[in-house]
Amino acid sequence: METALLIGLNAAWQIAALALLALGLAIVFGLLRILNMAHGEFVMLGAYSHVLTAQMGLPPVMALVVCLGFVGLAALLVERLVVRHLYDRMFDSLLATWALSILMREAVELVWGRSFRNVPLPIEGVTQIGSTGYPTYRLLVIALIVGFFVLLWLWYRRSLTGVRLRAMVSNPSLARTAGINTARLSAMAFVTGCLCAGLAGLVLAPVLAIEPNMGLDALIRSFFALVVGGLGTLEGLGIGVAVVGGLQAGLSAAVSQTAGYLGVLVLAIIFLWRRPDGLYRRR
Amino acid sequence: MKIIRLVPLASALAVTLALPALAEVRIGVLIPDSGPAGLFGPSSRQAAQLAAEDINAAGGINGEPVTLVFGDVGVPPAQAVQTAQRLWRGEGVQGFVGMHDSAVRAALIGQFRGQVPYVYSGVYEGGECAPGTWLTAETPAQQLAPTIPWLAENHGASRWYLIGNDYNWPRDTNDAARPVIAEAGGEIVGEEYVPLGTSDYDASLQRIRASGADAVLVTLVGGDSVAFNIGFGAFGLDGQALRLGTLIEENTLAGIGAAGANRLFAAMGFFASIESEAAQAFAARHAQTFGAEAAQLNGMGQSVYDGLMLLSALGNAAGSMDASAIAQSGDGTAFSSPRGEAVLEGNHVAQTIYLAEGTGGAFSVVASFDSVPHGVTCE
Repeated sequence: METALLIGLNAAWQIAALALLALGLAIVFGLLRILNMAHGEFVMLGAYSHVLTAQMGLPPVMALVVCLGFVGLAALLVERLVVRHLYDRMFDSLLATWALSILMREAVELVWGRSFRNVPLPIEGVTQIGSTGYPTYRLLVIALIVGFFVLLWLWYRRSLTGVRLRAMVSNPSLARTAGINTARLSAMAFVTGCLCAGLAGLVLAPVLAIEPNMGLDALIRSFFALVVGGLGTLEGLGIGVAVVGGLQAGLSAAVSQTAGYLGVLVLAIIFLWRRPDGLYRRR
Repeated sequence: MKIIRLVPLASALAVTLALPALAEVRIGVLIPDSGPAGLFGPSSRQAAQLAAEDINAAGGINGEPVTLVFGDVGVPPAQAVQTAQRLWRGEGVQGFVGMHDSAVRAALIGQFRGQVPYVYSGVYEGGECAPGTWLTAETPAQQLAPTIPWLAENHGASRWYLIGNDYNWPRDTNDAARPVIAEAGGEIVGEEYVPLGTSDYDASLQRIRASGADAVLVTLVGGDSVAFNIGFGAFGLDGQALRLGTLIEENTLAGIGAAGANRLFAAMGFFASIESEAAQAFAARHAQTFGAEAAQLNGMGQSVYDGLMLLSALGNAAGSMDASAIAQSGDGTAFSSPRGEAVLEGNHVAQTIYLAEGTGGAFSVVASFDSVPHGVTCE
């Protein structure tokens, strides 16, 4: 009973963390058809926001503001200088953002060095659920992520911007004719996607090893989730992270970490090969 | 006429150019500037520079000053071999000191074939017997034989869980741990290997909890070790079990942070916080020499200092840098370093091992063991 609860909580944590990690990648791909290979580096910048905040002498709670400013600015720059010129050129944008990811890693290494950084948990200790102790910070983050996704989904379905976004995705030229400023909308979508990546880095920083190359792991895990779920929709993202996160947590607990990793790899290969659209198809 | 007048000038020039080449010993220092181990590049380089200063202040090698030539070996073995080849054949390097992974070491040994003296200094799995190769590196036997019984006696560690990355260093370390744990009256309650690059340890932590272990031997490396130890602390497992790591140095501990470091022990030949006079003097000089550029002192980087000290002592004992001459006179060569005294026995050194505790987020040395044998027997 206790073991089952722990496995369940671990799976919930895996899925929630993965959903947050993959959201930015899903937004940018879904709305702009750009596979942002520098996605992980925006996660990394989000994590380093804690370091920046401490260096600026601000209290830790200000990390959220610093993150939004720091990552938002970086994303805006990248959109203006690189991504803007590569809409509708999927392969070029993939190469460009890959180069960008290398550049961002090197820049961060230049500024902060290669050493590991530690971000203390904002809330220490474990919460007892029955006889099982679970880290309080994790429980809080799971709840936050669930709330965040509900709000996001409602906003996307109900708001005017959501309508415009969906219009842009389904028919860009018609959207432009209808008076929608797609250039601005695209820029906004890209920055929002990067901000989501940054927020993921900010929130997950206390449980991760923080160093300039940490982004690659985030990118790969997000990519697997999107491949399985289907690139480019919130629903697909949800299904993908549930399957990938659940499979990894389950196999790791039941067999071994190697089996968990292998399972995800095999699943991703099968999907890329047999079902490149993922589990959730656009209607 | 003009040409004849130029001759003495030209020969004078040739002599001046040739002189330093004749009157210096060029040592190749092979350290990672790039790749996953690139973290140790700066500290390795600085340790090498301090060693060169000390060797030259003591009269160099056979009266000739030492000059260092650095090569980046944080690259795949085939590339590392090319770098070493360039230093050896192209730049006239007469001896090598290396701090890198074992795949690179194997490739280098294949290249050197015992024709040039080569000292390896980084913590490794033990068992290297190639001719022309000498090692100051800590072996698993050295790190574990004194520390596991100490932890059993002072902290009651008896039920050990072994977790490491899935490659030869962790597996060989655990092989060395088995008899030591049995000897100390303990038992092994679990053993697990995870792929390199694993960032999530929930399942492993759950197994550790269920195993009832009161001690965990951690042979995870780099970011994997950081993530594991953060999780260990977050789940409150530090109350159940202490941890012993054989590759947890100052950078890794900084990544783990205070909350994950409660009852985390590390066994290595060097820590920045060793309280001996030699170690304190070394740390002070390091800080003074490099100022704001000073890298975090750690056992991996500092090991290059020991490697150079051994190579210099070997060259002086043999009266030359000829690898076969060194092989004749090498056994018993002694040198001192911030770690303490070390003596070459075979091709490894007997040396001091320190056990440090990371509780609070910084290492403090809780025990030291002098002249620990390396446990490597070569034919």
